[in-house]
Amino acid sequence: MDELVKQQWLIPFLPLVAAAIQSLLKRGQRKLSAGLCIAAIGISCLLAMRALFATLGGHAGEAHEAARAIWNFTWFEFATTNLQLGFVLDPLTAGMAAMVTFVGFWIFVNATGYMAEDENYTRFFCFMSLFAAAMLGLVVANNLLLFFICWELVGLCSYLLIGFWFFKPSAAAAMKKAFITTRVGDIGFFIGILTLYWQTGTLNLYDNGHGALEQADKLAALSGWWGLSMASFIALMLFFGAMGKSAQFPLHVWLPDAMEGPTPVSALIHAATMVAAGVFMVGRMYPLFIAESARYDSHFVMSFVMWVGCITAVFSATIAVAQWDIKRVLAYSTCSQLGYMVMGLGAGGLVAGQFHLLTHAFFKALLFLGSGCVIIGTHHEQDMRKMGGLKKYMPITFWCYLIGMLALAGVPPFAGFFSKDEILLTTFHRSRLAWTLGTFAAFLTAFYMTRQMFMVFAGKWRGGGGHGHGHHGGEPHEVPWNMWLPIAVLSAFAVFLGLLGTPFIGDNMFQHYLAPEGIAEHEGAGTVMGLSIAAGALGILLGWLMYGRKTLQHADDPDPLEATAAPLFTVLNRKWYIDELYEATIIRGTVLCGVLFRLIDELIIDGVLHGIVWVTKAISQLLRWIGDEFFINGGFDTACEGVRESGGLMSRLQSGRVQNYFRLLGLGTAVLLVIYFWKLNQ
Amino acid sequence: MSIPLGHYLVLSGLLFVIGLCGALTRKNAIIVLIAIEIMFNAGILNLIVFWHYKEFAVLTAQMFTIFAISIAAAESAIGLALVIAIYRHYKSVDVDEMQSLKG
Amino acid sequence: MNAAFWILSAITVIGAVLAVTLRNLVHCVLSLILFFLGIAAHYFLLRADFIGAVQILIYIGAVAVLILFAIMLTHNVTGTEGPREVLGGKWWSGLATAGILGVVIWWAIYKDQIAAALPSNQKAQSSVLEIGRALMSEWVVPFEIMAVLLTAALIGAVVIALEEVMRRR
Repeated sequence: MDELVKQQWLIPFLPLVAAAIQSLLKRGQRKLSAGLCIAAIGISCLLAMRALFATLGGHAGEAHEAARAIWNFTWFEFATTNLQLGFVLDPLTAGMAAMVTFVGFWIFVNATGYMAEDENYTRFFCFMSLFAAAMLGLVVANNLLLFFICWELVGLCSYLLIGFWFFKPSAAAAMKKAFITTRVGDIGFFIGILTLYWQTGTLNLYDNGHGALEQADKLAALSGWWGLSMASFIALMLFFGAMGKSAQFPLHVWLPDAMEGPTPVSALIHAATMVAAGVFMVGRMYPLFIAESARYDSHFVMSFVMWVGCITAVFSATIAVAQWDIKRVLAYSTCSQLGYMVMGLGAGGLVAGQFHLLTHAFFKALLFLGSGCVIIGTHHEQDMRKMGGLKKYMPITFWCYLIGMLALAGVPPFAGFFSKDEILLTTFHRSRLAWTLGTFAAFLTAFYMTRQMFMVFAGKWRGGGGHGHGHHGGEPHEVPWNMWLPIAVLSAFAVFLGLLGTPFIGDNMFQHYLAPEGIAEHEGAGTVMGLSIAAGALGILLGWLMYGRKTLQHADDPDPLEATAAPLFTVLNRKWYIDELYEATIIRGTVLCGVLFRLIDELIIDGVLHGIVWVTKAISQLLRWIGDEFFINGGFDTACEGVRESGGLMSRLQSGRVQNYFRLLGLGTAVLLVIYFWKLNQ
Repeated sequence: MSIPLGHYLVLSGLLFVIGLCGALTRKNAIIVLIAIEIMFNAGILNLIVFWHYKEFAVLTAQMFTIFAISIAAAESAIGLALVIAIYRHYKSVDVDEMQSLKG
Repeated sequence: MNAAFWILSAITVIGAVLAVTLRNLVHCVLSLILFFLGIAAHYFLLRADFIGAVQILIYIGAVAVLILFAIMLTHNVTGTEGPREVLGGKWWSGLATAGILGVVIWWAIYKDQIAAALPSNQKAQSSVLEIGRALMSEWVVPFEIMAVLLTAALIGAVVIALEEVMRRR
């Protein structure tokens, strides 16, 4: 495995090369661009699989440290310090890399169908390759600098891809919102990195005992700011970055707007990978999070993490209940599930959180790709009120989507059930209140997914009223093979992947794989499992009652929920007015600051500048008047006048009149006489 | 006769100055020539005066005087001829008008 | 004899002054003749007889007549001009120059003791015979040169005064 880790860099490098080549391609070279992209990620997938098997073989059951191989090298040196980069190969990395490449591969295949009619096909795949490279780089990095570079690159690609159709004002606004909101989180992240580097003196995470994470115990002993230990403080700062990237409350506002991008983008970035990067980062930096609580048994940061996740989970689920855009429902659902993962991590369940990350990637990507198929099939219709009865038009999409929905709703034995159950169990042991809220969110999840299923696939087709987009217009149709094959593959995983982490088979294989020294807690497992099944069933039942028994007949029929509780529905539909709140407070405040600074600039700074200019000009005028005008010009003019006048005087001597000459002669004679006689005297 | 030399010198000097005044002041060219004659005579008088007071035994001064008088006469003849010629050109004997050699 | 000096000096000076200040040209010439007479008298007084005679012959007999001829030929005889017409431009500068020179001469005369010298008591050698003899022996070269000069002057005067007449013809 030590030789293998030296080839870890290939995994992100191949998509990077593909992106570089694709950036040079012309608009017409569509097949080449897509081919490069898919080939690159395909090969990376094979490499990741190889790395995965390497971590499985033999070492997985042993102590954690032996299962990790690292390779650090010096990038460049300056003065006394040198900048290192490094790659790591351990179960966490291998699992994530395998998941990202695999899911990414199928998403790219689907995208060839989704973007078939778009004229910016090549640019799309170039950005997707770049994103894949950045995400994989983030996953295999053993070094904070490399991690941060890839973190920012992932944000950049998200920006570029959300605003892929930048000519639409809503897309342009959404791309900016995404970037800026994640930036807010990244401030904390950066502070965390700097503090970690400062306190540990190294940017490498693992370095044979000298790495930053290996010094977590030492950091826990130091005291940081805000009443926390150094390790906790750094962990909190790093978590702010995760809050931005993984759309936790209150920085979640960008994720729903990010649905402006093409659906494959939503599937890859905003379901499976980028938003998971925040969760992955918490998992990677977990030693810092748990360092303090292990030694000092004070749980502030972990509690904070758990509660943020919990609030996000419930909050987003409530909003998802009242949305009409098919992608918005899924977006809020993603937000909610991320909240689950974070809650699980905060409750101390590293394995639970990462497991849910894994399963969620598969079924959420499945759901997004499915919604992409629906959108293409209904000729770019996204409003669920205008859909309906698609089951008979798009059967393959329907069955795959159904599997995804069941997985998300937490129906056993599908994937989502086991992973969500693990999280709820871990939370159960930390805080009953959080566990209650989590179960309520599970109920809501089941409810809104059922609602979506019935609105989209059941009943009769409500669309086609004057919305003749696309060449066919009118009736929806099934999508081509390159769009339904990926979702079929992913649905298979959605069914079986959960079995990896179930306690019934092999006593949670995933736990053994990822963190063998941890013990999966079994106490109260039965209660939790039972209650979560009940919550899920209740949600489905309510959904069927409201949306399934009597499906909507027309596109402008009122939503049954809206009919029953109109004010509540409006609040939920308007996303709890959070965006409006931000607009009124933060945005307006920033604009005011800008105006204030501009005022300062114009009055004070420009005033000073103009003052200086005025003084300089006055001085120069003065000098010109005194020096130039008075002395130089005046002196020169006077000299010239003098010469002229003396010339005039002299010329009078040459009058031509003899008598004048004679007079001069007389004067001259007198002078000579005087001189002569004077000399004679002496 | 016991006139000191100084008196004779003053006399000749006075005559010379008078002649000079006339030469420098008058407008008429002929008057200027007349004044020049006066100056000449004053100078020649000085010769005889000094002969009388110093070199009484030698004739040099008288010779000088003869030649000086001759030259003065010749000069006045030429001068007057010139004045006549100028008068013919300028139609006047005003010295102020005789300013340029070019006709 | 001193009185003779003073009277004769007065005559001479008056003649000179009149010669330069009178307006009528002929009157100027006449006073010039008076001046010449005065000078000649001084020569006689100074025991230079021959020179005195020469003075009268040449100056009064030739030069003054010549001047009269010139006056006749230039047709500018009128005596009715005022002082402005008589005096030249910036006449005061000429007067000043003459004054300055006069002062210098006065100073030159009286700065040494020479002015107080009295006439010598030697016997004069001023007979015409002596002069004639000296003129032909010692001073013959200057004499001949003088003759040449006078010839040249004569011819020159004739040429200058005659030229216009020839051209006009």
